[in-house]
Amino acid sequence: MNNKTVLFSLLVLIFYVTQLSAQNRYTMSGIIKDKKTGEALIGATLKVADKQSLGTVSNEYGFYSLTLPAGSYKLLVDYVGYTEQELSVTLDKKTGIDISMEPVAKELNEVTISSKANNITSAQMGMDKLDIKDINMIPVLFGERDVLKTIQLLPGVQSVGDGNSGFYVRGGAADQNLILLDEAVVYNPSHLLGFFSTFNSDAIKDVTLYKGTAPAQYGGRLSSVLDVKMNDGDDQNYHVSGGIGLIASKLDVEGPIEKDDGSFLITARRTYADVFLKLSNDTTLKKSSLYFYDLNAKLNYKLSKKDHLYLSGYSGQDDLGLGGLFGLNYGNETGTLRWNHIINDKLFSNTSLIYSDYNYNINVNAAGISANIHSEIRDWNLKEELELFASPTNSLRFGFNSIYHTIEPGNITGSGITNSTQPDNHSWENAVYIDDNWKVSSRLNIDYGIRVSAFSVLGGANLYDLNPDGTIKDTLHYGSGQIVQTYFIPEPRASASYTLNDVSSLKLGYARNSQYLHLISNSTTTNPTDKWVGSNNIIKPEISDQVSLGYFRSLKNDDYEFSVESYYKYMQNQIDYKDGANVLDNTPLEPKLLFGDGRAYGLEFSFKKKVGKFTGWVSYTLSRSELQIQGINNDDWYASRQDHTHNLSVVGIYRLNKKWTLSSDFVFYTGGAVTFPSGKYEVNGYPVFLYTERDGYRMPAYNRLDLSATKQLKKHKHYSSELVYSLYNAYGRENPYIITFQQDPNDANKTQAVQYSLFRWVPSISYNFKF
Amino acid sequence: MKTSNIIYIALLLFAFSACKKVIQVNLNSSAPHYVVQGNVTNQPGPYLVTITKSVNFDQDNVFPTVSGAVVVITDNTAGVADTLKETTPGNYYTSILTGTPGHKYQLYINAANNIFTTTCIMPVPVTLDSLYTQLSSFGGNTYQLVPVYTDPVAFGNYYHFAEVKNDTLTDNISIRNDALINGQVIKQPLGGGLQQGDSVALYLECIDSAMYQYYYSLEQTENQNSATPANPISNLSGGALGYFSVHTLSSKSIIVP
Repeated sequence: MNNKTVLFSLLVLIFYVTQLSAQNRYTMSGIIKDKKTGEALIGATLKVADKQSLGTVSNEYGFYSLTLPAGSYKLLVDYVGYTEQELSVTLDKKTGIDISMEPVAKELNEVTISSKANNITSAQMGMDKLDIKDINMIPVLFGERDVLKTIQLLPGVQSVGDGNSGFYVRGGAADQNLILLDEAVVYNPSHLLGFFSTFNSDAIKDVTLYKGTAPAQYGGRLSSVLDVKMNDGDDQNYHVSGGIGLIASKLDVEGPIEKDDGSFLITARRTYADVFLKLSNDTTLKKSSLYFYDLNAKLNYKLSKKDHLYLSGYSGQDDLGLGGLFGLNYGNETGTLRWNHIINDKLFSNTSLIYSDYNYNINVNAAGISANIHSEIRDWNLKEELELFASPTNSLRFGFNSIYHTIEPGNITGSGITNSTQPDNHSWENAVYIDDNWKVSSRLNIDYGIRVSAFSVLGGANLYDLNPDGTIKDTLHYGSGQIVQTYFIPEPRASASYTLNDVSSLKLGYARNSQYLHLISNSTTTNPTDKWVGSNNIIKPEISDQVSLGYFRSLKNDDYEFSVESYYKYMQNQIDYKDGANVLDNTPLEPKLLFGDGRAYGLEFSFKKKVGKFTGWVSYTLSRSELQIQGINNDDWYASRQDHTHNLSVVGIYRLNKKWTLSSDFVFYTGGAVTFPSGKYEVNGYPVFLYTERDGYRMPAYNRLDLSATKQLKKHKHYSSELVYSLYNAYGRENPYIITFQQDPNDANKTQAVQYSLFRWVPSISYNFKF
Repeated sequence: MKTSNIIYIALLLFAFSACKKVIQVNLNSSAPHYVVQGNVTNQPGPYLVTITKSVNFDQDNVFPTVSGAVVVITDNTAGVADTLKETTPGNYYTSILTGTPGHKYQLYINAANNIFTTTCIMPVPVTLDSLYTQLSSFGGNTYQLVPVYTDPVAFGNYYHFAEVKNDTLTDNISIRNDALINGQVIKQPLGGGLQQGDSVALYLECIDSAMYQYYYSLEQTENQNSATPANPISNLSGGALGYFSVHTLSSKSIIVP
């Protein structure tokens, strides 16, 4: 593909745009930050007071740049949860102004949960931003606040299962979500077999979810991008905060390295579920372990007025062990080094070097055999992004991204056994992109761009040639480092908003996404030992095309917001296991797979109350998600596991008084498609169940109500604390986790269905403090 | 696999207090499927092939037998064809065949014009050298069996253990291959659950890779912990459920002391 052409047109475009805005115009630029803590504010808006269509938005590092004709202006600076600021500026030369914003005093009995009117005019569709303050108010399981469980309450997002942090977006599979922590991919965002997420909400500043409609700087997954950004740390004062809960405790320390110029943040969390195991009288269980921990750290330092360095890292580990006989531990590690450089008042550069790793180990130690199974995925990623604030009507983002992937497919080593190792898989994923946000008129706003991704399969590992029946015909060998095959996929993306009047707009969007890494899973929920594999000669890259159409409206002076979005998505090269495949060993995967297409469509309604003593939202999704896999269900379309026809979430937060805040959420969804038997037969004297189709049945509908109350304890000058009570599944609904079939233990002549449910009336209490 | 299930259950029960109840599920009815079970071993015959049919889930565990089928097993190596005789409904017995390791056997069934066939080679025999019991490594004061045998030098041995406990064949599926333990003396214990005084006969079967695949997928079907449970992969062509196993046998008995 012609990378040169793309680069050339990019340069022409930059030149053209800069030329346009060269006459009699001046640029003001700077950083928008929190006055108290120095945290950069992401997405703060800066507008000309009497011409609100002229304005800009601060980027991920708080940088803004606004170019206007010479003159005097009254500007408005706005950010959720902060007091609106008025700024008088006379522009007769290049002007640098850093803006510090004052948070709304907590004593005020109201909150604003989402930015003002931004959703109406911006061209971006299928996007949700979560405020950490919101997440902190929503009732939770075991008192653990959880980003991934909160996003499941948004339209178009489904939970993988009861109490699980895994999620499906717009009918896509769980591995089709790009989950980023400070730009680094988190390959397995869950702990304890999925019941907790790897994100400690104390360390998090901003969470944005794009439902398959992300701008061109993001790529690599079909269904969504969940962009999680860590706090920078307070650069003014030292703080210690923490929480003690039933199942986990956490601590957060932050403070300046040098006042105004640098800060650090360290947060840690550990669970102690294994304490309960010690109470057991079973000796093996007593000796067992069951815990996880998370560690987040971040440093940032301003090298000069134009240069800022950020170093952030995450490490988390799960440890499950059964009395020395069996152990499973797994965890992610990420690291991000970023260098912000303000090239000039209009051009902002960010260079990132990113490391991501996920690995698991299974240890078996019995009967003279000790074996270890190890599998790992590791990325080195270099990114360069330039942001050009060309004019008040055009801002461009362009850059490249180069990732070197290493996958260890699973090595079995130990004593008393024959070692079985597989060579590492290497691949190289590259992308160039450009994206332009163009305010065509005061009514029309367009965001358009293209990402061209390339994926090179590198030699060294075994590749296979398959017979038509899927068995291995030949093993292909390529030298290490040799490029075996390269896939190029152009991914055009565009969305537009047309403002109908002051309070409503219509939006239309199209996006193509590609995915070169695939998580091959055959478990009902998240499983730590599911395998990541790269595309190769047999496993083709997944591609999705999505169109969406939406109507957005704000009501009652923007106190309420209503939106409807519809989408249709077609997905190519979807992957599934063959029936009966051995998913645990490290033999070649290719003969065990089947391929096909997917399609998903739906209608998402959202109604939010954003301001006042009572805030919250209702979201409802009507959707369908289907697959057509060669070799399954006679090659017909069938409902996928992600197919839940109706999905309703209601969230309410009520500030009763200065002391008490009450909150509640309610969730209802249609049960997912599931495979049940349609008969039985006898083998060796025992009944065996007969399956006639895949996903031909439905789980019963799911519903649940959670309650929570937060009590602010007496405040001291340097110390504040709160108690949080919550009740998960308040009316004790027995939601089926799994349904299995068995011989009736009381009647050898009968068989029966048995339902297992997990969480009923789970109360919890936790104590949070800050000083 | 089994161990990770135990971890799951421990986790779910202890940490989250799972609850369990019998429910009514409306399951579809299905057309009756043919089910074949056949064995040829290196022990003296006659060998048995049974043909039955599947029923709907809500029916009793009474499985209709299939009579009047033509069942032929041919020893291709020796050039002997044996047409089986239906002695009781659905049960077909050989009369002249002898199972010999290394010989190739072909099964042919014609049941109401449904043809089911397969071909298998009997693997080399491995002897069960000894059998003892020990306290289960998973606790709970139960005992587990430890079969001792020597895996041959060449790779590609597959084993299935049939356990007859107090005169009843258990539904435990125990299979092994030698991919990681080739050519060694094997003393790996089987699953626990035995009590003092239990009498157990253990049969070590050397099976081929297709039967290993069958038992592996049968275990998955029975465990029901895959997201997409499916029928086990039969070695029979023509759409029959079940299997035709040509294997060697070696056995030992023990009473748990």
